Amino acid sequence: MSIVIRDLHKAFDGKVVLDGFEVEARDGETLVILGGSGSGKSVTLKHVVGLLTPDKGQVEVDGEVVSDLRREELFVLRRKVGYVFQFAALFDSMSLADNVAMGLRRQSDMDRKEIEERVEECLRLVDLDGFGPRAPSELSGGQRKRAGIARAIATRPQYLLYDEPTTGLDPVTRAMIDQLILRMSSELGVTGIVITHDIDSAFRVADRFAMLHEGRCRFQGTPEEIRETDDPVVRGFIEGRPELLENAS
Amino acid sequence: MSRSKEALVGVVILASVIVVTFGTLWLQGVTLAATETEITAVFANVGVIRPGNPVKYRGVRVGRVREITVDPGGELVRVVARIQEDTPMPADAVAILAPESLFGDWQLEITPRDRFPEYRYAQPDDPDHLPGYAIPDISQLTATADRISADIEILTERVGIAFSEETARNVASLIDNVEEVTQRLSELVSQQAGAFTDVTGEIQEATQRIGEAAASARMSFDQVGETLSREELARILEDLAVVAENTREFSGDLDETGSELRGMAARADSTFARVNVLLAQVEAGDGTLGRLLQDPAIAMEVEGTLQELQLLLEDIRENPRRYLRLSIF
Amino acid sequence: MTRILSQPFISMGRGATLLAAGIGRWGMLTAETVRALRHVDVWLRLLVPQMARVGVDSVPIALFIALFTGIVLSLQASYTFTGAIPLYFVGVLVGKTMMLELGPVLTGLALSGRVGANIAAELGTMRVTEQIDALETLAYPPVAYLVVPRVLASIIMFPIVTALAIAVGIAAGWITAIQLLDMSTAEFVNGLTLFFLPFDVTYALIKATSFGFMVATIGCFFGFHTRGGAEGVGHSTTRAVVVSSMVILVLDAFWAVTLL
Repeated sequence: MSIVIRDLHKAFDGKVVLDGFEVEARDGETLVILGGSGSGKSVTLKHVVGLLTPDKGQVEVDGEVVSDLRREELFVLRRKVGYVFQFAALFDSMSLADNVAMGLRRQSDMDRKEIEERVEECLRLVDLDGFGPRAPSELSGGQRKRAGIARAIATRPQYLLYDEPTTGLDPVTRAMIDQLILRMSSELGVTGIVITHDIDSAFRVADRFAMLHEGRCRFQGTPEEIRETDDPVVRGFIEGRPELLENAS
Repeated sequence: MSRSKEALVGVVILASVIVVTFGTLWLQGVTLAATETEITAVFANVGVIRPGNPVKYRGVRVGRVREITVDPGGELVRVVARIQEDTPMPADAVAILAPESLFGDWQLEITPRDRFPEYRYAQPDDPDHLPGYAIPDISQLTATADRISADIEILTERVGIAFSEETARNVASLIDNVEEVTQRLSELVSQQAGAFTDVTGEIQEATQRIGEAAASARMSFDQVGETLSREELARILEDLAVVAENTREFSGDLDETGSELRGMAARADSTFARVNVLLAQVEAGDGTLGRLLQDPAIAMEVEGTLQELQLLLEDIRENPRRYLRLSIF
Repeated sequence: MTRILSQPFISMGRGATLLAAGIGRWGMLTAETVRALRHVDVWLRLLVPQMARVGVDSVPIALFIALFTGIVLSLQASYTFTGAIPLYFVGVLVGKTMMLELGPVLTGLALSGRVGANIAAELGTMRVTEQIDALETLAYPPVAYLVVPRVLASIIMFPIVTALAIAVGIAAGWITAIQLLDMSTAEFVNGLTLFFLPFDVTYALIKATSFGFMVATIGCFFGFHTRGGAEGVGHSTTRAVVVSSMVILVLDAFWAVTLL
């Protein structure tokens, strides 16, 4: 039960984004992938659910190679993977409750009542109980992020992918989201991949770290290991010292 | 999605379907109340009839043409029409295709055969089908008249050009043709005159006068080749003026012979009026016919046109009712 | 020097390649739309709301245009037909022009602005805010969920709106004729029915259906291929309207050549 990314290559219009990235998220752990803006973190995440197909290399989820799956099989796989988008990507045309229920209506054989209950439960889990009838446009940024998490966990996925869950939020809300991520891991036992460049948040939630730099995996290890690493690129990134990065390259 | 929105979608769709269905039926002239029946008529050719054209019985609109198909054999054209069921069918009914008005729209008329026995009706292979005949297009007539007018107009424009013997002969033969046409016209009129007993005398008188005038004009022109003196020309022109005068009078007489002849009369009148203008212009010049023509080709063309007119007139003579039964103007 | 000379040819070649690629991608999206028809469970629920948006909401603008077109046609016809031509030809002209040309084309153009822009802007926004990706991750095929109901709704509603527009246009022409031109209803109707063929209606509806299909697929195409934020959405919307308007006119000529 794991997500294994092997030798992933991806280029857009000749511009290489991923150049042999390799990382593994083991069962039950929360893996944080660090990397600067535009380093290809989101691209990596999209490969995991098959939104993008790799130029070379592969992503395995539970031993299945994502890019080899047919469309119907891909939909089956996606039931096991919840995706929290950077800006939540809530459907503006429907209420929050409908947003959360979307996946359930298609991916489960629950009846109307069960779906209602599950939606309420998910909203409660992200501290949004009673927000069901609201439209996404009525929510604040933090609330939207939480709603996005509620939608992602509605189908009880084994894996949760967080695309910059704390970016652009105030410190209190950030802490709240971090707690939520931890809760998902402890209460629901999901395996998580969090991509972020928010170091504080990363240290709060991470079981293990990976650092994506210039399309490759620059570092992989536990929080203790990353604190003690000598790699100037990693140190420069986590300590916020650009001069170390410059010296390294 | 509120229920009212769904209902609105339904209303719009329903409204549109109703508009299209009833609009189409209405424009096709289908009345839902009256029951209709289908008739089929066969023709050798169908002129310019099209689906949608009216079907008439004694001038009353009783239905519409629906479909026109060429028989697989290629010999016949089948025209299917829907008419009101209660339309009385004559015992020996035939179908005649003819123009309804001058603007190109045609009609199918159902009529007993003995009203127009002289037409060559197409014979149907199915006894239930009506024999049919399409009347030649009236535009042939008007087009010819138009062309003559145009040609004579060109002639008048050519005043001021040297007059050769050849052109003189051409003019002479033109006059010749005018004379002949006039004669044919008068023959035709005397034929037709039987139907209009009141004016027979007048017409005969008129045509006689035309004949005389034309003959004298012809005599004058025989001399054109020999002498081109001013005096002679003056006499010729006088004679021509008399021809024109008479033909105009003739047209006037025709005019009185009844509405059915009026159309033809009007055309004859305009043609001859142009001849008159031509003569006036010749006279207004320095009195020499030498100014009449630029090249002999035009005279030839006029002659060609006149020949066509003659052919047409022959046709009129052979099948007068074909033309005269139409009240066009 | 040679570069200056060759530049226009390079641009032309590049333009042609881009055009061909665009048509190809549009064709792929259309083919996928057809394939996505099998996900009935996904799109069926969304069809009626889309029909309301495409059709019902467009009725006022379509009828407004048709109303004034009918009035103007009637007045201009009477102005043109002086003297020799009988006045009932006003009816012929209003009826034929509304049915064959102006009804379908003006409605199509108005709806390409309304519907095409709306589709492109909505799908474009969904693309740049990752809502389309979100649909994918929730196992909804985006083409079945977004494109199919819009295309079907347009195919169904364009001819329906067009039919209403034609009826209103002819009615407006007729009222103008009897109120402003001293014609009688009988005269106008005589002209209307004189050259009427049931095929005229079929032709108008075929045109409207094809316009609906093109406007919706082009709107979806530009929406789906939107890149880069609000500016990208604006860009897609403009292009969707321009391209679908051009396609409507080209298609109009195409039908005139092939069907008449």
